[in-house]
Amino acid sequence: MAHENISVIRLRDLLLVTVPPDPDDETVAALQEQVLAAMARHEARGLVLDISTVQTFDSFFARTVAETVQMVALMGGRTVLAGMRANVAVTATQLGLTLGGSLTALDVNRAIELLQAVSDGESAR
Amino acid sequence: MNSLLQGEFRIESEGNIVMARKLVRDAATGLGFGLTDVTRIVTAASELTRNIYHYAQRGVMRWRRLNGNTRTGLELIFEDHGPGIPDVAKAMEPGYSTGNGMGLGLSGSKRLMDEMQIHSVVGQGTTVTVRKWLRK
Repeated sequence: MAHENISVIRLRDLLLVTVPPDPDDETVAALQEQVLAAMARHEARGLVLDISTVQTFDSFFARTVAETVQMVALMGGRTVLAGMRANVAVTATQLGLTLGGSLTALDVNRAIELLQAVSDGESAR
Repeated sequence: MNSLLQGEFRIESEGNIVMARKLVRDAATGLGFGLTDVTRIVTAASELTRNIYHYAQRGVMRWRRLNGNTRTGLELIFEDHGPGIPDVAKAMEPGYSTGNGMGLGLSGSKRLMDEMQIHSVVGQGTTVTVRKWLRK
């Protein structure tokens, strides 16, 4: 089955990835591969995962996202999960998901600000 | 529409999980559940259909509207003829998994729904029944 389109946009040294609303497992796995490949190709320092349209955040999806955050970290990048809807946040918490302490932001703009602040803080040290 | 009141759907491939979510979303929305409850129900259905696919390869999801004396609800039944669960109590513990998942499927689904029953016989299969009641 052909998986849904995943958009990966480069913004300076950041990548913006929009997760489709209701991806199947194959799409979620493909997303991880594409993100890692794009991180390497663009020598990106940060990743914004826009999950604002995601309707169902189940444990498989969460595990793949948590893994991706770790893999991106190993490649020297920081990840921010942006735009989780309130109903999805309630459900994810009751399900028991933790996401391994990923950075989060209310929307994509704030996610980009957060990554820039983190990056500035690191270069100041 | 009739399919909102009851129906069944075969789980035979990984792609069926997405369709099962859509069917449950339509049924729950049609019954009048609010967005957060719809999300809870759909997420539980996603976990339980994935369990069928991963552990039994195939099975069936059934859904039906429940008409109580004073309340309305949605019942989802997930049935397979897979290996069964040797220790249901253990399988209900958060973080316990015999597969490679996070071990949140059963325990998490129970928290997301109002009621959950598991009937499992090793070598014969597993039936998981969950219910959610509409808050007035």
